Amino acid sequence: MDMNDKIIETTIEIFTTMVMVDVSADGPPLQTSGTLSDSITGMIGLAGTHKGVLAIHVPNHVALAITSSFLGMDVDEINDDVRDAVGELANMLGGNVKTILSKNGRDIDLSLPSTISGHKYGFKATAGIDLVILPFKTASGTFMVELQLEK
Amino acid sequence: MGHNVLLVDDSSTMRKIVGRALRQAGLEFDTIFEAADGLLALEVLEKEAVDIVLSDINMPNMDGISFLREKAERPHIKDIPVFMISTETGDDIIGEAKALGAVGAIKKPFTAEMVSEIIGPFLQ
Repeated sequence: MDMNDKIIETTIEIFTTMVMVDVSADGPPLQTSGTLSDSITGMIGLAGTHKGVLAIHVPNHVALAITSSFLGMDVDEINDDVRDAVGELANMLGGNVKTILSKNGRDIDLSLPSTISGHKYGFKATAGIDLVILPFKTASGTFMVELQLEK
Repeated sequence: MGHNVLLVDDSSTMRKIVGRALRQAGLEFDTIFEAADGLLALEVLEKEAVDIVLSDINMPNMDGISFLREKAERPHIKDIPVFMISTETGDDIIGEAKALGAVGAIKKPFTAEMVSEIIGPFLQ
């Protein structure tokens, strides 16, 4: 199983067991996450034997649906609960990617998760990066999981 | 009579999810205390009667490993059982946590059934 398949598997597992939202892969990997519109991005840094960042890019309306399901209550605006939920998704994805890359867990450190959001923004990789961008779909819309690792 | 539990995680979402999983698992608690990092968790343990702690590892201010280390130095709270509940379940990290007194670990993502299986026996 390659890295893409493992990220797909762990993303589906996290959404199924913790968020209670059905998720499936939405086609082949993308070359770029493009311009993100009315979205929120949760991200977590990796340092050590593998350096990079794991991000999840979620359109606002999908983030609201995900957070509502995650918390078991209606959430209708982008607030601290939504930012915390998307950050926690990045944290869980990052932790599982760390486990994939480092079995003993000691040679990679994770940052604390953070979020950015906005009307229009980009999330660009610098040169010398192995880039994986995987699209996913839910009943309320699509989102992307992006892994950037230094070569 | 139920028990008191302390949930330690910098994510308020995750504290709610863990609390929900405990209820779904049918585990009875009189009070669910919450703390956003290890420092705040120590404050709760100093003030409240807590029977069991579920703690994240990767947190600001004082992480889960430092929390265990500090707790082990305080004789009046050192024996309160702590389960790590984290995405970080590599052998080295969990081994370090157990050496510092953690009694078990739950990997995120988790189900209510997993929580019940791991924590339930400690509440008998």
